[in-house]
Amino acid sequence: MTARTRENQILLLTFVALLSWFVPGAGYFWLKEKRRAIIVFATIAITFWLGIYIGSVGVIDPVAAKSWYAAQIINSPMVALLGRVAAGGNYPVYGKPHEIGQIYTSVSGLLNLLCIVNAVYLAHVQWAWQRKG
Amino acid sequence: MLFISPTCNGPGKEKVEMSTEVIFFIASLTAPEEIGATPQSMLWLLPLAAAVAVVYKATKLPKITAGSFLKETAALFGSIVLFVAVTALVLNAVAWLISG
Repeated sequence: MTARTRENQILLLTFVALLSWFVPGAGYFWLKEKRRAIIVFATIAITFWLGIYIGSVGVIDPVAAKSWYAAQIINSPMVALLGRVAAGGNYPVYGKPHEIGQIYTSVSGLLNLLCIVNAVYLAHVQWAWQRKG
Repeated sequence: MLFISPTCNGPGKEKVEMSTEVIFFIASLTAPEEIGATPQSMLWLLPLAAAVAVVYKATKLPKITAGSFLKETAALFGSIVLFVAVTALVLNAVAWLISG
C-alpha cells in the first residue's frame, strides 16, 4: 500500500467518524446504508430527547458532572450548546428525574459511539472491497 | 436564563410566530418531570432497553429487513429484560438473607 492511498484511507475513515458524530447515523447514510442510518438516527435522537424531557436541560452539566457530560457529548457536538445553556445552574434538577435523564442522555451517547466505530469499520471494509475489485 | 420569545419581530425581518404547541414543548424541556422514588419508576428501564436492543441490532445485522430486524430486536430486548429481572430477584434474595 502506498503512502498516498494509506493517507486517503485515513482521511475517509476520519470523515465518516466525524460525520457520524455530528449527526447520528449520517456516516451510514453516506455509506449508502440508508435503513441503518434512519434506525440509528431515530433511536438515538428519541432516547436523547426523552432524557432531556424527563430531567430537563439541567441534566447536561459540563461543570459538576464531567464524566456524564463526556458520554453525553458523544451524541453530537450540538450538546455543547445545551451545556452552555444549562451551565449557569438555572435549571436545577434533583432525584429520580435527574438520574433517569442523565442515564438516558449518556446511554444514547454511548450508543452513538458504538455506531461511530461500526460506521468506520464498514467504511474500511467497503474501501478494501473497492481496492480489491 | 434562556428566554424564548413567542414572536420574533426584528428590524427588516418578517414577523415569525411560534405556535403554542412549540412553546409548550420547549418549555417542557426546561423543567423536570415528576417521578417519585417508587417501584414503578423502574419501568423507565424498558424504553432504554428497547433503544439498546434496536441500535445494537442495527449495527450487527449484515442486511436489514423488517422481519428479521424486528425478530432479532425483540429477542434481544426480551433477554435484557429477563436478565435484569433475574439479577433483581437474586439481589433481593441476598438482601433478604443478610438482613434476616
